[in-house]
Amino acid sequence: MSRVVVRGFFARRLRAFLTGIAIALGVALMSGTYILTDTINHSFAAIFNTGARGRSVVVTPHQGLGSTAAVQTATINEATLAKVRKVPGVAVASGEVFTTVSLFADGKRLNKNAPSFVGSTLPARFENFSAVQGRLPSSGTEVAIDQATAQRYALKVGETLRVAGASAAVDYRIGGIVKFAGATSFGGAGVAVLTLPQAQRVASEPGAFDELVVAASPSVSDKDLRARIRAVLPHTLDVRTGLQEAAQQTSDLENQLGFLRTFLLIFAYVALFVGAFIIFNTFSITVAQRTREFGLLRMLGATRGQIVRSVVAEGVMLGLGGAILGLLGGLALAPGLDQLFKAFGADLPDSGTVIEFRTVWVSLLAGTVVTVIAGLLPALRASRVTPIAAMREGVSLTEKGVRSHMRRRIGIGVIVAAVLLRVVLELRSGAGIVTIVVIVAIVLLWRVPQSRARIKAAFSAVIVALARLLARPLELRGIVGRLARDNTIRHPGRTAATAMALMIGLALVSLISVLAAGTKASINNAIDASFAGDLILSNSSAAGNTGIPTEIPAAVRAIPGVSSVTAIAFTEGRVKGIGGNASITALDPASFSRVYRIDWDKGSNASLEGLGTTGTVLTKGFANAHHLHVGARLSVQTPSGQRVTLSVRGIATDNARLLADLTITLPLARTAFNQRTDAVDFVSYAPGVSNSQVQPTVNRLLAARFPQTQSQTAAQFKTSLGGQINSLLALIYVLLALSVIVSLFGIVNTLVLSIFERTRELGMLRAIGTTKRQVRQMIRYESVLTALVGGVLGIVLGIVIAAILAGTALSGSGFVFVVPPITMVVLFVLAGLAGLIAAAWPARRAASVDILAALATE
Amino acid sequence: MTAIVAASALTRRYGEGDVAVDALAGIDIEFEAGRFAAIMGPSGSGKSTLMHLLAGLDRPTSGTVTLEGIELATLDDRALTMLRREKVGFIFQTFNLLPILDARENITLPLSIAGNGADKAWFDRLIDTVGIRDRLHHRPAQLSGGQQQRVAVARALISRPAVVFADEPTGNLDSTAGGEVLDLLRRAVDDFGQTVVMVSHDAHAASHADRLIVLADGRVVHDGEALSADGVLDLMKSLKT
Repeated sequence: MSRVVVRGFFARRLRAFLTGIAIALGVALMSGTYILTDTINHSFAAIFNTGARGRSVVVTPHQGLGSTAAVQTATINEATLAKVRKVPGVAVASGEVFTTVSLFADGKRLNKNAPSFVGSTLPARFENFSAVQGRLPSSGTEVAIDQATAQRYALKVGETLRVAGASAAVDYRIGGIVKFAGATSFGGAGVAVLTLPQAQRVASEPGAFDELVVAASPSVSDKDLRARIRAVLPHTLDVRTGLQEAAQQTSDLENQLGFLRTFLLIFAYVALFVGAFIIFNTFSITVAQRTREFGLLRMLGATRGQIVRSVVAEGVMLGLGGAILGLLGGLALAPGLDQLFKAFGADLPDSGTVIEFRTVWVSLLAGTVVTVIAGLLPALRASRVTPIAAMREGVSLTEKGVRSHMRRRIGIGVIVAAVLLRVVLELRSGAGIVTIVVIVAIVLLWRVPQSRARIKAAFSAVIVALARLLARPLELRGIVGRLARDNTIRHPGRTAATAMALMIGLALVSLISVLAAGTKASINNAIDASFAGDLILSNSSAAGNTGIPTEIPAAVRAIPGVSSVTAIAFTEGRVKGIGGNASITALDPASFSRVYRIDWDKGSNASLEGLGTTGTVLTKGFANAHHLHVGARLSVQTPSGQRVTLSVRGIATDNARLLADLTITLPLARTAFNQRTDAVDFVSYAPGVSNSQVQPTVNRLLAARFPQTQSQTAAQFKTSLGGQINSLLALIYVLLALSVIVSLFGIVNTLVLSIFERTRELGMLRAIGTTKRQVRQMIRYESVLTALVGGVLGIVLGIVIAAILAGTALSGSGFVFVVPPITMVVLFVLAGLAGLIAAAWPARRAASVDILAALATE
Repeated sequence: MTAIVAASALTRRYGEGDVAVDALAGIDIEFEAGRFAAIMGPSGSGKSTLMHLLAGLDRPTSGTVTLEGIELATLDDRALTMLRREKVGFIFQTFNLLPILDARENITLPLSIAGNGADKAWFDRLIDTVGIRDRLHHRPAQLSGGQQQRVAVARALISRPAVVFADEPTGNLDSTAGGEVLDLLRRAVDDFGQTVVMVSHDAHAASHADRLIVLADGRVVHDGEALSADGVLDLMKSLKT
């Protein structure tokens, strides 16, 4: 029996290959994701481990809000350093500054796609940088720049580097070009090294450090020294050995990059899901075509179980083959993904290629399990072939349902398999839960025979009606067009399954495009409704959570024609009794309420102005979610580990999402929350002053002193926000394209199989005078028709889901439901083109059918 | 002599109500071991239906079928499958070889399905009897129709079944190849003591049998010793009038 399986598999190797590709592409994205993210993580681990050199103990501020919080951490003061130095066994202790900055040379921003950092020089035993050219900075006018950045921008010793951090930009003379110990690449990131006082100045942390590094005396072990230092320091500081610190940094980074993995894996799951459809369809068709073979086997004494097992075994071979192919594809895809992210503005370090054992087994398992599950139903259908089928001509399989206990078993089996797969794969990712829910929902719905029959009938009717409608123009093409249409609706189920594979990808594209268009529109509306100012100042780089200096408002206020400038900062806090971090907006109430209209639910601008350091305003969503009312008192833990008690003074709705969960005043953010930079400044002009009189002056000031900052009018701001959404959209489209490609293979597969089935018919058509060209046309029309059915269903489904979301989850958020018509037309045309591409090879195959041989086949 | 296969009061009705068709309208018949029986009859006479019921491929509307003393109605699908596997061989009009396997693999397929190995001596004897030793590694597509049917005969005999059912075994063959296949069936009965039940409407084919059964409208209208080809034709003519 196993021989029959293996032989059959290889006899149909072309079909197997086409089907295997459907799974391979999804697996490739999955393994490529793992390979890329593992490589990035390992590269960072290497950097951190190298960085731990010479450090017996490292003291850092405790990250009370977790490593993924977008907050500025507290600093360490000189008194703490002095205290550490007095601990017995400490040979050397130094304070270090390491901060995110923007670097400029010749007025151009460096390393746009990755963050740039400033580090302070350290005593030789701690120093990780060594000069390749020149030297490390020894005076307050010198800077050293990392070799990769220097090469990228052709920077030379003696040239000028401008460093813009949390305060006004300063020019330094490049005194040296340095390399990091171990020569590890930082990806697209750059590092400038300054003397400690200069680094503190850039970071706006005079007399403070980001971390303390300690070397032990020869007689003291790192562990002992850590314990001794731990004993004298408060718990707002973390004390770790050098190795512990490197491990901590590595795991923090893995957490922060976890979203990247999840983001990519979602697309891999989508592609696998589409692949599963194709497997299901292909197996259904081949099982139908092999009815006589199964009948014969049954007649010769094969049990139903043997038939099921033979089809499942084919699925295992196919899945495993596809998964292996996918794994290899993943190796090729990983650098491609990396390039993709670079193109979209995330240049991360990646040295070498890391293939974890986990990548291998997860990929193989996922590919195989998905294939086997998709092949289960067809396998069961194959087992229902009666022995007599072997003796009949042209029998078709009964569409009778699987017996109910079997169905129950399959249902449970599928659920268990899906859950197990998820649990095994990634316990933490949220994408899996969605997958499980979807699978369970489908299985449950499918298990009710009436609903299944009704769904099937309704769906078939829709497919047929849609195909007829879309085939209207084909009627002009005479008999060839007619045949193409009739062939498409001959097996509505088959056309449906083929079209559905394409539908899934296109539904997601259409859903996302509608959501993006709606988001843009809602933000625009919200800005129009709320923002009464004239200019918005913000950091021009999206890479890294770099803010803008707090000195800007005072400087801009001095410009003639400017009437007021108000600064806004973002931070986070942990509210007692509420899980996770709450986002916090900090602002200056008096000047803010003049440029921004708040839609008050409870309270008024007066409540905002009376916040002081003890009050807060909540957004309605947050207040509702946690049943908070005006007058409630919240105990909030700040990033620096302090606890502040805030009373709720007002509740507001803000569709522009400028107001976060909590709104507090800037003075409180500067002290308790350690917020040392701002996110944006709103500038208002004096009455009667035009933009052209002021914005150029503002820009000149920014270019001279705060080059990381850009000024935008409300219109410009909306455009640039739209641009950001568009570039994210483009990234998602590229990743979804893979699913669409997978579904193309599905169309090719179905066409080839149906051509095989119709060999005799094609021979007959050719015999009575149909030209090869006409045959090719017919197949192409069929393909385009199927693709368009999938396209229309996908576009409509995407719009419907978006409409449902807009009416439920997004209602009350100011979300505007907009269908971008051009995108939809483009999608429709693309679907048709996809069909044309998919038909290219099958059409040639159909046209080259040998007439006599075709007529002789049964 | 004991009956290998027996049917009593066998009926088979297709469809219901007004459109119901009685393919078999009450048949009692027994097949003895080691004999070659031919079932004849015009199209629609019920001969194929009878064969399907006797082989356990279909279930009767009423009546019983016993194979080697086992009443088929008592068996579930799995048991029926096992019974077919061990006790029944089939030969088809359209050969029904698996195109992906070569001749040797096709012959041993029933054993492979059961997970058994082939009896080498029996296999050798069979392939010499059917005369395809030099074609063992050819795929069906590389064999002539006659060769394919000889492979199918060997496949039917490989598991030494209690009975071989042959459904129009010569229907797709020219007279020479057909004659060879009929000779083979004859030898299977004479040399190996095989029981063979053949359905055919070819008088020449029926003349190779020991016993001739004629069906018409779902009933047995003749059951007797075999006749020559001309005798069969005369009988058929006489039955029609």
